Amino acid sequence: MASEEKRAEILKNLSEGVVEYDEDRVKEYSNIALDEKMDAYDAIMNGLAAGMEIVGDLYDRQEYFVPEILMCADALYAGLDILKPHLKIDDASGVKGQVVIGTVQGDVHDIGKNLIKMMFDVGGFTVHDLGRDVPLEKFAEEQLKTDSEIVALSAMMTTTMMGMKKVIAMIKEKNPDVAIMLGGAPVTKDVANLFGADGYAESAGNAVQEAIKMIGQLRKLKEDGVPA
Amino acid sequence: MAAMTPKERVKKFMKREPVDTMPIFSGMGMVTVQAINKMGIRFAEVHGSPDYLAKSATLSADIFGFDSVIVPYDMCTIPEAMGRGCSTYANAEGILYPTVPTKWENLDAADINPDWASKARMPVVEEALKKLVSEGKYGVGGWVLGPFTLGGQVIELDLLLKGIKKEADKVQAFMKKMTSVVIDVAKRYQSLGVDYMTIREMGSGTDLLSPRMWKQLIQPYLREIFEALESPKVLHICGGTDLIVEMMNDCGADALSFDQKNNLVETRKKIGNDVILLGNFDPYGTLCQKEASEVPAVIKGCIDAGVDAVWPGCDIWPDVKPENVEAWVNTVRELGKQPSPAVGRL
Repeated sequence: MASEEKRAEILKNLSEGVVEYDEDRVKEYSNIALDEKMDAYDAIMNGLAAGMEIVGDLYDRQEYFVPEILMCADALYAGLDILKPHLKIDDASGVKGQVVIGTVQGDVHDIGKNLIKMMFDVGGFTVHDLGRDVPLEKFAEEQLKTDSEIVALSAMMTTTMMGMKKVIAMIKEKNPDVAIMLGGAPVTKDVANLFGADGYAESAGNAVQEAIKMIGQLRKLKEDGVPA
Repeated sequence: MAAMTPKERVKKFMKREPVDTMPIFSGMGMVTVQAINKMGIRFAEVHGSPDYLAKSATLSADIFGFDSVIVPYDMCTIPEAMGRGCSTYANAEGILYPTVPTKWENLDAADINPDWASKARMPVVEEALKKLVSEGKYGVGGWVLGPFTLGGQVIELDLLLKGIKKEADKVQAFMKKMTSVVIDVAKRYQSLGVDYMTIREMGSGTDLLSPRMWKQLIQPYLREIFEALESPKVLHICGGTDLIVEMMNDCGADALSFDQKNNLVETRKKIGNDVILLGNFDPYGTLCQKEASEVPAVIKGCIDAGVDAVWPGCDIWPDVKPENVEAWVNTVRELGKQPSPAVGRL
Protein backbone atom coordinates (compact mmCIF):
# COMPACT_ATOMS: atom_id res chain seq x y z
CA MET A 1 0.00 0.00 0.00
CA ALA A 2 1.19 3.50 -0.81
CA SER A 3 1.93 5.73 2.17
CA GLU A 4 -0.35 8.75 2.62
CA GLU A 5 2.49 10.97 1.48
CA LYS A 6 3.10 8.91 -1.66
CA ARG A 7 -0.62 8.69 -2.36
CA ALA A 8 -0.92 12.47 -2.18
CA GLU A 9 2.04 12.89 -4.52
CA ILE A 10 0.55 10.46 -7.06
CA LEU A 11 -2.90 12.05 -6.96
CA LYS A 12 -1.41 15.53 -7.34
CA ASN A 13 0.59 14.49 -10.38
CA LEU A 14 -2.33 12.68 -11.99
CA SER A 15 -4.57 15.67 -11.45
CA GLU A 16 -2.01 18.20 -12.65
CA GLY A 17 -1.10 16.00 -15.57
CA VAL A 18 -4.72 16.06 -16.73
CA VAL A 19 -5.04 19.82 -16.20
CA GLU A 20 -1.80 20.51 -18.05
CA TYR A 21 -2.66 17.90 -20.71
CA ASP A 22 0.62 16.16 -20.03
CA GLU A 23 -0.03 12.59 -21.20
CA ASP A 24 3.49 11.37 -20.37
CA ARG A 25 3.21 12.53 -16.79
CA VAL A 26 -0.19 10.93 -16.39
CA LYS A 27 1.10 7.62 -17.77
CA GLU A 28 4.16 7.75 -15.52
CA TYR A 29 2.14 8.36 -12.36
CA SER A 30 -0.52 5.85 -13.30
CA ASN A 31 2.22 3.22 -13.46
CA ILE A 32 3.69 4.48 -10.19
CA ALA A 33 0.23 4.15 -8.62
CA LEU A 34 0.12 0.50 -9.66
CA ASP A 35 3.71 -0.13 -8.52
CA GLU A 36 2.83 1.34 -5.13
CA LYS A 37 -0.22 -0.97 -4.94
CA MET A 38 -2.49 2.04 -4.77
CA ASP A 39 -6.19 1.44 -5.28
CA ALA A 40 -6.91 2.04 -8.97
CA TYR A 41 -10.31 3.52 -8.22
CA ASP A 42 -8.73 6.02 -5.83
CA ALA A 43 -6.23 7.03 -8.53
CA ILE A 44 -8.94 7.43 -11.16
CA MET A 45 -11.47 9.36 -9.13
CA ASN A 46 -9.23 11.42 -6.88
CA GLY A 47 -6.45 11.91 -9.40
CA LEU A 48 -7.69 11.88 -12.99
CA ALA A 49 -11.30 12.86 -12.39
CA ALA A 50 -10.32 15.48 -9.82
CA GLY A 51 -8.08 17.00 -12.49
CA MET A 52 -10.97 17.03 -14.92
CA GLU A 53 -13.06 18.92 -12.39
CA ILE A 54 -10.39 21.62 -12.31
CA VAL A 55 -10.53 21.64 -16.13
CA GLY A 56 -14.27 22.27 -15.84
CA ASP A 57 -13.62 25.28 -13.60
CA LEU A 58 -11.08 26.60 -16.09
CA TYR A 59 -13.67 26.20 -18.85
CA ASP A 60 -16.26 28.04 -16.76
CA ARG A 61 -13.78 30.88 -16.28
CA GLN A 62 -13.11 30.90 -20.04
CA GLU A 63 -9.44 30.13 -19.49
CA TYR A 64 -9.81 26.80 -21.27
CA PHE A 65 -11.79 26.16 -24.44
CA VAL A 66 -12.61 23.00 -26.35
CA PRO A 67 -9.08 22.39 -27.77
CA GLU A 68 -7.64 22.36 -24.25
CA ILE A 69 -10.47 20.16 -22.98
CA LEU A 70 -9.84 17.62 -25.74
CA MET A 71 -6.17 17.45 -24.83
CA CYS A 72 -7.02 17.10 -21.13
CA ALA A 73 -9.38 14.27 -22.09
CA ASP A 74 -6.54 12.58 -23.98
CA ALA A 75 -4.39 12.81 -20.88
CA LEU A 76 -7.20 11.41 -18.75
CA TYR A 77 -7.64 8.46 -21.11
CA ALA A 78 -3.87 7.84 -21.07
CA GLY A 79 -4.22 7.20 -17.34
CA LEU A 80 -7.54 5.43 -17.54
CA ASP A 81 -6.17 2.90 -20.04
CA ILE A 82 -3.48 1.94 -17.53
CA LEU A 83 -5.58 2.03 -14.37
CA LYS A 84 -8.97 0.70 -15.41
CA PRO A 85 -7.89 -2.95 -15.93
CA HIS A 86 -6.83 -2.94 -12.27
CA LEU A 87 -10.15 -1.86 -10.80
CA LYS A 88 -11.49 -4.32 -8.27
CA ILE A 89 -14.67 -5.92 -9.49
CA ASP A 90 -16.63 -5.06 -6.35
CA ASP A 91 -15.96 -1.33 -6.45
CA ALA A 92 -15.56 -0.58 -10.10
CA SER A 93 -16.86 2.89 -9.30
CA GLY A 94 -19.82 2.50 -7.10
CA VAL A 95 -21.90 2.59 -10.27
CA LYS A 96 -22.84 -0.44 -12.26
CA GLY A 97 -24.53 0.26 -15.50
CA GLN A 98 -24.50 0.17 -19.24
CA VAL A 99 -24.96 2.91 -21.73
CA VAL A 100 -25.49 2.95 -25.49
CA ILE A 101 -24.03 6.09 -27.04
CA GLY A 102 -23.76 7.44 -30.57
CA THR A 103 -24.27 10.30 -32.99
CA VAL A 104 -27.48 10.08 -34.97
CA GLN A 105 -27.69 9.36 -38.67
CA GLY A 106 -26.86 12.36 -40.76
CA ASP A 107 -24.35 13.76 -38.28
CA VAL A 108 -20.67 13.01 -38.52
CA HIS A 109 -19.47 15.27 -35.68
CA ASP A 110 -18.70 13.46 -32.46
CA ILE A 111 -16.67 15.68 -30.15
CA GLY A 112 -19.55 16.18 -27.71
CA LYS A 113 -20.40 12.50 -27.84
CA ASN A 114 -16.82 11.54 -27.03
CA LEU A 115 -16.68 13.90 -24.06
CA ILE A 116 -19.85 12.44 -22.61
CA LYS A 117 -18.48 8.97 -23.27
CA MET A 118 -15.47 9.95 -21.18
CA MET A 119 -17.76 10.66 -18.25
CA PHE A 120 -19.31 7.21 -18.51
CA ASP A 121 -15.89 5.60 -18.87
CA VAL A 122 -14.61 7.33 -15.76
CA GLY A 123 -17.81 6.50 -13.93
CA GLY A 124 -17.24 2.81 -14.55
CA PHE A 125 -20.11 2.24 -16.95
CA THR A 126 -19.89 -0.33 -19.69
CA VAL A 127 -20.09 1.85 -22.78
CA HIS A 128 -21.46 0.57 -26.08
CA ASP A 129 -20.21 3.23 -28.47
CA LEU A 130 -21.99 2.98 -31.81
CA GLY A 131 -19.86 5.75 -33.30
CA ARG A 132 -21.37 8.38 -35.55
CA ASP A 133 -23.84 8.64 -38.40
CA VAL A 134 -25.68 5.76 -36.75
CA PRO A 135 -28.92 4.53 -38.38
CA LEU A 136 -31.77 5.33 -36.02
CA GLU A 137 -33.01 1.78 -35.51
CA LYS A 138 -29.52 0.69 -34.42
CA PHE A 139 -29.89 2.54 -31.10
CA ALA A 140 -33.05 0.65 -30.21
CA GLU A 141 -31.54 -2.67 -31.34
CA GLU A 142 -28.39 -2.15 -29.27
CA GLN A 143 -30.35 -1.09 -26.20
CA LEU A 144 -32.48 -4.21 -26.38
CA LYS A 145 -29.48 -6.44 -27.05
CA THR A 146 -27.44 -5.08 -24.13
CA ASP A 147 -30.33 -4.17 -21.80
CA SER A 148 -28.61 -0.84 -21.18
CA GLU A 149 -30.18 1.54 -18.69
CA ILE A 150 -29.14 4.66 -20.58
CA VAL A 151 -29.12 5.68 -24.24
CA ALA A 152 -27.17 8.86 -25.05
CA LEU A 153 -27.74 10.50 -28.43
CA SER A 154 -25.80 13.35 -29.94
CA ALA A 155 -26.53 15.68 -32.88
CA MET A 156 -24.46 18.75 -33.67
CA MET A 157 -26.77 20.25 -36.24
CA THR A 158 -30.41 21.25 -36.29
CA THR A 159 -30.66 19.36 -39.52
CA THR A 160 -30.00 16.04 -37.82
CA MET A 161 -31.65 16.66 -34.49
CA MET A 162 -35.04 15.49 -35.71
CA GLY A 163 -33.75 11.92 -35.92
CA MET A 164 -33.51 11.91 -32.13
CA LYS A 165 -37.26 12.14 -31.77
CA LYS A 166 -37.72 8.95 -33.76
CA VAL A 167 -35.08 7.10 -31.75
CA ILE A 168 -36.67 8.10 -28.47
CA ALA A 169 -40.08 6.93 -29.65
CA MET A 170 -38.63 3.61 -30.83
CA ILE A 171 -36.85 2.94 -27.55
CA LYS A 172 -39.56 4.15 -25.19
CA GLU A 173 -42.14 2.08 -27.01
CA LYS A 174 -40.20 -1.09 -26.25
CA ASN A 175 -38.78 -0.10 -22.88
CA PRO A 176 -40.21 3.02 -21.20
CA ASP A 177 -37.77 2.79 -18.28
CA VAL A 178 -34.66 3.54 -20.35
CA ALA A 179 -33.16 6.93 -19.50
CA ILE A 180 -32.44 8.95 -22.63
CA MET A 181 -29.88 11.75 -22.75
CA LEU A 182 -29.64 14.15 -25.67
CA GLY A 183 -26.68 16.31 -26.54
CA GLY A 184 -25.55 18.72 -29.19
CA ALA A 185 -25.53 22.37 -30.17
CA PRO A 186 -29.16 22.60 -31.34
CA VAL A 187 -30.60 20.71 -28.38
CA THR A 188 -32.42 22.86 -25.85
CA LYS A 189 -34.40 21.98 -22.76
CA ASP A 190 -37.59 22.57 -24.74
CA VAL A 191 -36.46 20.23 -27.50
CA ALA A 192 -35.49 17.56 -24.97
CA ASN A 193 -38.89 17.85 -23.32
CA LEU A 194 -40.72 17.88 -26.63
CA PHE A 195 -38.90 14.76 -27.78
CA GLY A 196 -39.52 12.97 -24.49
CA ALA A 197 -35.89 12.79 -23.35
CA ASP A 198 -34.78 12.57 -19.73
CA GLY A 199 -31.76 14.89 -19.90
CA TYR A 200 -29.75 17.05 -22.26
CA ALA A 201 -26.47 18.94 -22.85
CA GLU A 202 -26.41 21.60 -25.51
CA SER A 203 -22.82 21.78 -26.76
CA ALA A 204 -19.45 20.10 -26.56
CA GLY A 205 -18.48 22.57 -23.86
CA ASN A 206 -21.75 22.11 -22.07
CA ALA A 207 -21.36 18.36 -22.45
CA VAL A 208 -18.06 18.41 -20.65
CA GLN A 209 -19.50 20.61 -17.93
CA GLU A 210 -22.33 18.15 -17.48
CA ALA A 211 -19.92 15.25 -17.58
CA ILE A 212 -17.64 16.85 -15.02
CA LYS A 213 -20.57 17.67 -12.75
CA MET A 214 -21.63 14.03 -12.87
CA ILE A 215 -18.10 12.86 -12.14
CA GLY A 216 -18.05 15.27 -9.21
CA GLN A 217 -21.31 13.81 -7.93
CA LEU A 218 -19.94 10.28 -8.24
CA ARG A 219 -16.85 11.25 -6.28
CA LYS A 220 -18.95 12.88 -3.59
CA LEU A 221 -21.25 9.90 -3.30
CA LYS A 222 -18.26 7.63 -2.88
CA GLU A 223 -16.62 9.91 -0.31
CA ASP A 224 -19.85 10.13 1.66
CA GLY A 225 -20.22 6.39 1.57
CA VAL A 226 -23.60 6.58 -0.12
CA PRO A 227 -24.14 3.83 -2.66
CA ALA A 228 -24.67 5.36 -6.11
CA MET B 1 -42.80 55.29 -56.48
CA ALA B 2 -43.20 51.70 -57.68
CA ALA B 3 -42.00 49.01 -55.30
CA MET B 4 -38.59 47.57 -56.01
CA THR B 5 -38.29 44.11 -57.43
CA PRO B 6 -36.90 41.51 -55.03
CA LYS B 7 -33.58 41.48 -56.88
CA GLU B 8 -33.28 45.27 -56.87
CA ARG B 9 -34.12 45.34 -53.17
CA VAL B 10 -31.44 42.83 -52.27
CA LYS B 11 -28.79 44.38 -54.49
CA LYS B 12 -29.40 47.92 -53.20
CA PHE B 13 -29.59 46.71 -49.62
CA MET B 14 -26.25 44.95 -49.83
CA LYS B 15 -24.69 48.15 -51.17
CA ARG B 16 -26.25 50.08 -48.27
CA GLU B 17 -28.31 52.13 -50.69
CA PRO B 18 -31.84 53.11 -49.64
CA VAL B 19 -34.52 50.50 -50.25
CA ASP B 20 -38.31 50.59 -50.17
CA THR B 21 -38.50 48.02 -47.40
CA MET B 22 -36.38 45.48 -45.58
CA PRO B 23 -35.62 42.51 -47.83
CA ILE B 24 -36.51 39.01 -46.68
CA PHE B 25 -33.58 36.83 -47.46
CA SER B 26 -30.70 34.80 -46.05
CA GLY B 27 -27.14 33.81 -46.77
CA MET B 28 -27.95 30.22 -45.84
CA GLY B 29 -30.33 27.57 -47.07
CA MET B 30 -33.96 28.62 -47.47
CA VAL B 31 -35.46 25.62 -49.21
CA THR B 32 -38.80 24.39 -47.85
CA VAL B 33 -40.65 21.10 -47.97
CA GLN B 34 -43.59 22.95 -49.45
CA ALA B 35 -41.47 23.56 -52.56
CA ILE B 36 -40.00 20.05 -52.56
CA ASN B 37 -43.45 18.48 -52.25
CA LYS B 38 -44.85 20.66 -55.00
CA MET B 39 -42.10 19.40 -57.27
CA GLY B 40 -43.01 15.81 -56.44
CA ILE B 41 -39.45 14.85 -55.50
CA ARG B 42 -37.73 13.64 -52.32
CA PHE B 43 -35.36 15.90 -50.40
CA ALA B 44 -32.44 13.58 -51.09
CA GLU B 45 -32.91 14.06 -54.83
CA VAL B 46 -32.72 17.84 -54.84
CA HIS B 47 -28.96 18.10 -54.26
CA GLY B 48 -27.79 16.37 -57.41
CA SER B 49 -29.64 18.24 -60.12
CA PRO B 50 -29.19 21.85 -61.24
CA ASP B 51 -32.83 21.97 -62.29
CA TYR B 52 -34.06 20.68 -58.94
CA LEU B 53 -31.80 23.05 -57.01
CA ALA B 54 -32.86 26.09 -59.01
CA LYS B 55 -36.53 25.14 -59.11
CA SER B 56 -36.79 24.37 -55.39
CA ALA B 57 -35.10 27.65 -54.49
CA THR B 58 -37.36 29.66 -56.76
CA LEU B 59 -40.51 27.84 -55.67
CA SER B 60 -39.68 28.43 -51.99
CA ALA B 61 -39.35 32.15 -52.74
CA ASP B 62 -42.54 32.15 -54.81
CA ILE B 63 -44.56 30.41 -52.11
CA PHE B 64 -43.45 32.55 -49.20
CA GLY B 65 -42.42 35.85 -50.76
CA PHE B 66 -38.68 35.73 -50.15
CA ASP B 67 -36.54 38.30 -51.95
CA SER B 68 -33.66 35.98 -52.72
CA VAL B 69 -32.73 32.44 -53.57
CA ILE B 70 -29.62 30.58 -52.53
CA VAL B 71 -27.98 27.25 -53.37
CA PRO B 72 -26.59 24.70 -52.62
CA TYR B 73 -28.30 23.34 -49.51
CA ASP B 74 -25.65 20.98 -48.21
CA MET B 75 -22.06 21.34 -47.05
CA CYS B 76 -20.60 18.41 -48.93
CA THR B 77 -20.16 19.78 -52.43
CA ILE B 78 -16.54 20.83 -51.97
CA PRO B 79 -15.42 17.89 -49.77
CA GLU B 80 -17.06 15.54 -52.28
CA ALA B 81 -15.17 17.21 -55.13
CA MET B 82 -11.98 16.71 -53.11
CA GLY B 83 -12.68 13.00 -53.12
CA ARG B 84 -14.12 12.61 -49.63
CA GLY B 85 -17.43 11.22 -50.89
CA CYS B 86 -21.01 12.12 -50.01
CA SER B 87 -23.70 10.23 -48.12
CA THR B 88 -27.08 11.30 -49.49
CA TYR B 89 -29.29 9.03 -47.35
CA ALA B 90 -31.41 8.33 -50.39
CA ASN B 91 -33.54 5.78 -48.53
CA ALA B 92 -33.84 7.54 -45.20
CA GLU B 93 -37.25 8.66 -44.04
CA GLY B 94 -37.82 12.39 -43.88
CA ILE B 95 -35.19 15.05 -44.29
CA LEU B 96 -31.53 14.29 -43.85
CA TYR B 97 -28.83 16.52 -45.27
CA PRO B 98 -25.90 14.89 -47.05
CA THR B 99 -22.74 14.32 -45.02
CA VAL B 100 -19.10 13.59 -45.77
CA PRO B 101 -18.44 9.91 -45.04
CA THR B 102 -14.65 9.79 -45.17
CA LYS B 103 -12.03 12.15 -43.85
CA TRP B 104 -8.31 12.44 -44.28
CA GLU B 105 -6.62 10.60 -41.44
CA ASN B 106 -4.28 13.39 -40.47
CA LEU B 107 -3.15 16.85 -41.48
CA ASP B 108 -0.35 15.50 -43.67
CA ALA B 109 -2.75 13.36 -45.67
CA ALA B 110 -4.79 16.30 -46.95
CA ASP B 111 -3.87 16.16 -50.60
CA ILE B 112 -6.27 18.12 -52.77
CA ASN B 113 -6.61 16.89 -56.34
CA PRO B 114 -5.80 19.73 -58.76
CA ASP B 115 -9.00 19.40 -60.79
CA TRP B 116 -11.36 19.29 -57.81
CA ALA B 117 -13.32 22.35 -58.99
CA SER B 118 -14.75 20.43 -61.94
CA LYS B 119 -15.52 17.24 -60.00
CA ALA B 120 -18.63 15.72 -58.46
CA ARG B 121 -21.42 18.25 -57.92
CA MET B 122 -19.41 21.42 -58.37
CA PRO B 123 -20.75 21.82 -61.95
CA VAL B 124 -24.28 21.07 -60.67
CA VAL B 125 -24.16 23.97 -58.25
CA GLU B 126 -22.67 26.31 -60.84
CA GLU B 127 -25.31 25.37 -63.36
CA ALA B 128 -28.04 26.01 -60.78
CA LEU B 129 -26.58 29.41 -59.97
CA LYS B 130 -26.45 30.27 -63.68
CA LYS B 131 -30.13 29.39 -64.00
CA LEU B 132 -31.10 31.49 -61.01
CA VAL B 133 -29.04 34.45 -62.16
CA SER B 134 -30.47 34.26 -65.68
CA GLU B 135 -34.05 34.10 -64.35
CA GLY B 136 -33.41 37.50 -62.82
CA LYS B 137 -36.46 37.45 -60.59
CA TYR B 138 -34.83 37.17 -57.20
CA GLY B 139 -31.60 38.23 -55.62
CA VAL B 140 -29.17 35.31 -55.88
CA GLY B 141 -26.92 34.35 -53.01
CA GLY B 142 -23.91 32.09 -52.97
CA TRP B 143 -22.16 30.67 -49.92
CA VAL B 144 -19.01 28.80 -49.09
CA LEU B 145 -17.87 27.40 -45.77
CA GLY B 146 -14.98 29.23 -44.16
CA PRO B 147 -11.61 27.48 -44.14
CA PHE B 148 -11.79 26.19 -40.58
CA THR B 149 -15.32 24.82 -40.99
CA LEU B 150 -14.49 23.35 -44.38
CA GLY B 151 -11.42 21.80 -42.79
CA GLY B 152 -13.66 20.20 -40.18
CA GLN B 153 -15.57 18.52 -43.00
CA VAL B 154 -12.52 16.84 -44.50
CA ILE B 155 -10.45 16.06 -41.40
CA GLU B 156 -11.51 15.08 -37.89
CA LEU B 157 -12.34 18.29 -36.06
CA ASP B 158 -10.62 17.13 -32.91
CA LEU B 159 -7.38 16.63 -34.85
CA LEU B 160 -7.66 20.20 -36.04
CA LEU B 161 -8.51 21.56 -32.59
CA LYS B 162 -5.75 19.65 -30.82
CA GLY B 163 -3.36 20.32 -33.67
CA ILE B 164 -3.63 24.04 -32.99
CA LYS B 165 -1.73 23.41 -29.77
CA LYS B 166 0.40 20.47 -30.77
CA GLU B 167 1.19 20.93 -34.48
CA ALA B 168 0.65 24.61 -35.14
CA ASP B 169 2.74 24.68 -38.33
CA LYS B 170 0.83 21.80 -39.89
CA VAL B 171 -2.51 23.35 -38.95
CA GLN B 172 -1.48 26.67 -40.47
CA ALA B 173 -0.41 24.92 -43.68
CA PHE B 174 -3.71 23.06 -43.78
CA MET B 175 -5.65 26.28 -43.22
CA LYS B 176 -3.78 27.88 -46.11
CA LYS B 177 -4.89 25.05 -48.39
CA MET B 178 -8.49 25.40 -47.27
CA THR B 179 -8.35 29.18 -47.67
CA SER B 180 -7.19 28.81 -51.24
CA VAL B 181 -10.12 26.47 -51.96
CA VAL B 182 -12.64 28.83 -50.38
CA ILE B 183 -11.35 31.75 -52.46
CA ASP B 184 -11.47 29.68 -55.65
CA VAL B 185 -15.06 28.58 -55.14
CA ALA B 186 -16.34 31.97 -53.99
CA LYS B 187 -14.71 33.68 -56.95
CA ARG B 188 -16.24 31.16 -59.33
CA TYR B 189 -19.68 31.83 -57.88
CA GLN B 190 -19.10 35.58 -58.05
CA SER B 191 -18.07 35.29 -61.68
CA LEU B 192 -21.46 33.69 -62.36
CA GLY B 193 -23.19 36.84 -61.17
CA VAL B 194 -24.39 36.12 -57.63
CA ASP B 195 -25.62 39.23 -55.85
CA TYR B 196 -23.95 38.51 -52.51
CA MET B 197 -21.55 35.95 -51.15
CA THR B 198 -21.63 34.56 -47.62
CA ILE B 199 -18.63 32.94 -46.00
CA ARG B 200 -19.92 30.66 -43.28
CA GLU B 201 -17.20 30.06 -40.72
CA MET B 202 -19.78 28.29 -38.64
CA GLY B 203 -17.62 26.17 -36.41
CA SER B 204 -15.31 28.88 -35.16
CA GLY B 205 -17.44 30.51 -32.46
CA THR B 206 -16.24 30.81 -28.91
CA ASP B 207 -18.13 27.64 -28.00
CA LEU B 208 -15.07 25.95 -29.43
CA LEU B 209 -12.23 28.45 -29.68
CA SER B 210 -10.91 31.13 -27.38
CA PRO B 211 -10.93 34.70 -28.73
CA ARG B 212 -7.14 34.61 -28.69
CA MET B 213 -7.11 31.46 -30.77
CA TRP B 214 -9.71 32.94 -33.11
CA LYS B 215 -7.46 35.92 -33.72
CA GLN B 216 -4.50 33.67 -34.38
CA LEU B 217 -6.11 30.87 -36.36
CA ILE B 218 -9.26 32.22 -37.98
CA GLN B 219 -8.95 35.93 -38.56
CA PRO B 220 -5.87 35.99 -40.83
CA TYR B 221 -7.47 33.57 -43.28
CA LEU B 222 -10.83 35.33 -43.28
CA ARG B 223 -9.03 38.57 -44.01
CA GLU B 224 -7.28 36.92 -46.93
CA ILE B 225 -10.59 35.62 -48.26
CA PHE B 226 -12.49 38.90 -47.98
CA GLU B 227 -9.59 40.77 -49.51
CA ALA B 228 -9.74 38.46 -52.53
CA LEU B 229 -13.51 38.72 -53.02
CA GLU B 230 -15.63 41.44 -54.49
CA SER B 231 -18.43 43.08 -52.54
CA PRO B 232 -21.05 42.41 -51.37
CA LYS B 233 -19.68 39.82 -48.99
CA VAL B 234 -21.01 38.58 -45.67
CA LEU B 235 -19.33 36.83 -42.76
CA HIS B 236 -21.56 34.45 -40.80
CA ILE B 237 -20.57 32.66 -37.61
CA CYS B 238 -22.83 30.47 -35.47
CA GLY B 239 -22.76 30.01 -31.74
CA GLY B 240 -20.83 32.19 -29.33
CA THR B 241 -19.75 35.41 -31.06
CA ASP B 242 -20.12 38.15 -28.44
CA LEU B 243 -16.41 38.03 -27.60
CA ILE B 244 -15.24 38.22 -31.22
CA VAL B 245 -17.60 40.65 -32.95
CA GLU B 246 -14.99 43.39 -33.23
CA MET B 247 -12.49 40.96 -34.74
CA MET B 248 -15.17 39.69 -37.12
CA ASN B 249 -15.77 43.27 -38.17
CA ASP B 250 -12.08 43.62 -38.85
CA CYS B 251 -12.02 40.88 -41.51
CA GLY B 252 -13.21 42.97 -44.45
CA ALA B 253 -16.80 41.78 -44.89
CA ASP B 254 -19.55 44.26 -45.79
CA ALA B 255 -22.03 42.61 -43.47
CA LEU B 256 -21.95 40.37 -40.41
CA SER B 257 -24.44 37.63 -39.65
CA PHE B 258 -25.01 35.98 -36.28
CA ASP B 259 -27.22 33.32 -34.78
CA GLN B 260 -29.49 33.65 -31.80
CA LYS B 261 -26.68 33.38 -29.26
CA ASN B 262 -25.38 36.83 -30.17
CA ASN B 263 -26.41 39.82 -28.08
CA LEU B 264 -27.33 42.02 -31.03
CA VAL B 265 -27.97 45.12 -28.94
CA GLU B 266 -24.43 45.00 -27.59
CA THR B 267 -23.03 44.06 -30.97
CA ARG B 268 -24.65 47.06 -32.62
CA LYS B 269 -23.16 49.29 -29.93
CA LYS B 270 -19.71 47.82 -30.53
CA ILE B 271 -19.87 47.86 -34.32
CA GLY B 272 -21.71 51.14 -34.91
CA ASN B 273 -24.19 51.92 -37.64
CA ASP B 274 -21.94 51.71 -40.69
CA VAL B 275 -21.98 47.94 -41.03
CA ILE B 276 -24.92 45.79 -42.05
CA LEU B 277 -25.88 43.39 -39.28
CA LEU B 278 -27.99 40.34 -40.05
CA GLY B 279 -29.73 37.93 -37.76
CA ASN B 280 -30.61 36.38 -35.54
CA PHE B 281 -33.61 34.25 -34.86
CA ASP B 282 -33.48 30.57 -34.01
CA PRO B 283 -34.65 29.00 -37.27
CA TYR B 284 -35.89 25.71 -35.90
CA GLY B 285 -37.52 27.15 -32.80
CA THR B 286 -39.15 30.03 -34.63
CA LEU B 287 -40.29 28.41 -37.85
CA CYS B 288 -40.92 24.81 -36.78
CA GLN B 289 -41.76 24.83 -33.08
CA LYS B 290 -43.45 28.04 -32.03
CA GLU B 291 -47.04 28.95 -32.68
CA ALA B 292 -47.43 31.37 -35.56
CA SER B 293 -48.84 33.92 -33.13
CA GLU B 294 -45.51 33.96 -31.30
CA VAL B 295 -43.39 34.63 -34.38
CA PRO B 296 -44.01 38.39 -34.82
CA ALA B 297 -42.52 39.09 -31.38
CA VAL B 298 -39.37 37.17 -32.30
CA ILE B 299 -38.98 39.08 -35.55
CA LYS B 300 -39.70 42.41 -33.90
CA GLY B 301 -37.10 41.55 -31.26
CA CYS B 302 -34.45 41.15 -33.97
CA ILE B 303 -35.40 44.46 -35.58
CA ASP B 304 -35.51 46.29 -32.26
CA ALA B 305 -32.10 44.87 -31.40
CA GLY B 306 -30.64 46.59 -34.44
CA VAL B 307 -30.45 44.21 -37.39
CA ASP B 308 -30.69 45.59 -40.89
CA ALA B 309 -32.38 42.46 -42.18
CA VAL B 310 -33.90 39.61 -40.21
CA TRP B 311 -31.92 36.52 -41.07
CA PRO B 312 -32.34 33.07 -39.57
CA GLY B 313 -29.32 32.03 -37.51
CA CYS B 314 -28.64 29.07 -39.80
CA ASP B 315 -30.25 27.15 -42.67
CA ILE B 316 -33.97 27.03 -42.12
CA TRP B 317 -35.14 23.50 -41.36
CA PRO B 318 -37.10 22.71 -44.55
CA ASP B 319 -40.11 21.27 -42.76
CA VAL B 320 -41.34 24.69 -41.67
CA LYS B 321 -44.82 25.51 -40.50
CA PRO B 322 -46.01 27.60 -43.43
CA GLU B 323 -47.99 29.94 -41.16
CA ASN B 324 -44.81 30.68 -39.20
CA VAL B 325 -42.88 31.62 -42.33
CA GLU B 326 -45.79 33.79 -43.38
CA ALA B 327 -45.68 35.46 -39.97
CA TRP B 328 -41.92 36.14 -40.44
CA VAL B 329 -42.50 37.61 -43.89
CA ASN B 330 -45.53 39.65 -42.91
CA THR B 331 -43.89 41.08 -39.82
CA VAL B 332 -40.83 42.17 -41.79
CA ARG B 333 -43.04 43.68 -44.48
CA GLU B 334 -44.92 45.61 -41.82
CA LEU B 335 -42.00 46.78 -39.68
CA GLY B 336 -39.35 46.89 -42.38
CA LYS B 337 -40.58 50.09 -43.96
CA GLN B 338 -38.66 52.03 -41.35
CA PRO B 339 -34.94 52.56 -41.95
CA SER B 340 -32.54 50.26 -40.14
CA PRO B 341 -29.28 51.43 -38.54
CA ALA B 342 -27.08 50.86 -41.62
CA VAL B 343 -29.59 51.05 -44.49
CA GLY B 344 -31.94 53.93 -45.25
CA ARG B 345 -35.34 53.94 -46.97
CA LEU B 346 -36.49 55.61 -50.14
